[in-house]
Amino acid sequence: MNTYEVFLKKAGKEPFSHAGSFDAPDSELALLYARETYGRRGEGDQMWVVDRANLLIADQDDLAMADRVHKHNDGQLLAELRRSGRGKAT
Amino acid sequence: MSPDETANELVLAFADDELCVGQNHSWWIAVGPFLEEDLAFTSIAQDELGHARALYSLLSDDLDHIAYGRPHQEYRSSHIAELLCHDWTSALVRHVLHDLAEEVRWAAMLDSTWVELATIATRAAAEEQFHVQHGLTLLRRLLSTPEGQLRLSSTLIDLAPKGREYFAGSDSGLVTSGILNTSLADQERTWMKRIDDLLAEFELNVDWSGEPPSQGRYGTRSRDFSTLHDEMVAVLQIDPLANW
Repeated sequence: MNTYEVFLKKAGKEPFSHAGSFDAPDSELALLYARETYGRRGEGDQMWVVDRANLLIADQDDLAMADRVHKHNDGQLLAELRRSGRGKAT
Repeated sequence: MSPDETANELVLAFADDELCVGQNHSWWIAVGPFLEEDLAFTSIAQDELGHARALYSLLSDDLDHIAYGRPHQEYRSSHIAELLCHDWTSALVRHVLHDLAEEVRWAAMLDSTWVELATIATRAAAEEQFHVQHGLTLLRRLLSTPEGQLRLSSTLIDLAPKGREYFAGSDSGLVTSGILNTSLADQERTWMKRIDDLLAEFELNVDWSGEPPSQGRYGTRSRDFSTLHDEMVAVLQIDPLANW
C-alpha cells in the first residue's frame, strides 16, 4: 500500500487545500478511493491526489532557522507612520 | 400478462435485486478489508438502495410496504442477489457480476417509452460506471497475484452461471412497445460475453452449459432470503407504527 495526500478545491477563488490522506495499492485505485473517501458529498469540484513518496519534504531544523524576528511584520510601524501623517494634514 | 403488467414485473424484479444487493453490501460497513475499500464498497451499497427506491417509486407510493412488507413469495429477486456472502471473495465476485449486469440492464432502458423509467435509468447508468470501474479495477488487481488467483478463480467460475438469473423472467412485448430497447436474451448474451472476455484475461473459463436459474423471478426464495429480510426489517419490527 502507498499513502496518498488529497487536495480539494471548491468552485470560485478558493485555493486547493489539504483534505486528508489515505492508503491505496496503486494510482488507479487511489483516484477511486480518494473520490469515495473525500469527495462523495460534493466537498470539492477539483481534486489533486499526490503519492506521498513524491512530496519534497523540508528539513524541520532549517524551517525553524528561517523564522527570525525581523521577518515578521504585523503592520504596526506602518500604521503608526500613517497615523502621524494624517495628523499633519489636518 | 399485458405489456404493462410485464413491465411492472420487470421493474419489481430489478428493484428487488437492488434492495437485496444493497442490503448485502451494507453488511461490510466497518468490516471491509481496509478502511478505504470499506467506504467505497458501502457507498456503492447506498447507491444500490437508491436504485431500489427509485424503481419501487414507479410501482407504489407506500415505499416501506413494497420494499419490506410483502410476503416472501411476492419478492422477485434473483437468488444471486439474495446470496449471503460471508467472505470478501464472494462479496467482491458478486459485486462484479451484479454491476456488470446492471450496466447492461440500465442501458436497455435509457430510451424507454416509459419516460420515468428512462430518467431513472439515465441517472443510474452514470453511477454504474463508477461501480463497474471499482469492481473491475480491484478484481483485476487481485487476480494478477497468485494469492488472488487462488482465492478468486473458483468463486468466479462457480458464481458466474448463477448470474444468468439477472436476465430471467418475461420480456414479452416489451421490446415491441419500446419499454426495452434490447430483449432479456440479448442483454444476457452481452453480459456473458463481458464475463468471458474478463476471465479470458486470466485464462479462466466459465461453463455456461447448465440450465440457467430463474426460480427467484417466479416467487421461490433462496435459503438466504429470510435471514436477509429479517435483518432489513429488524428496526421496523420494533415499532411498525413509528413515524420516521
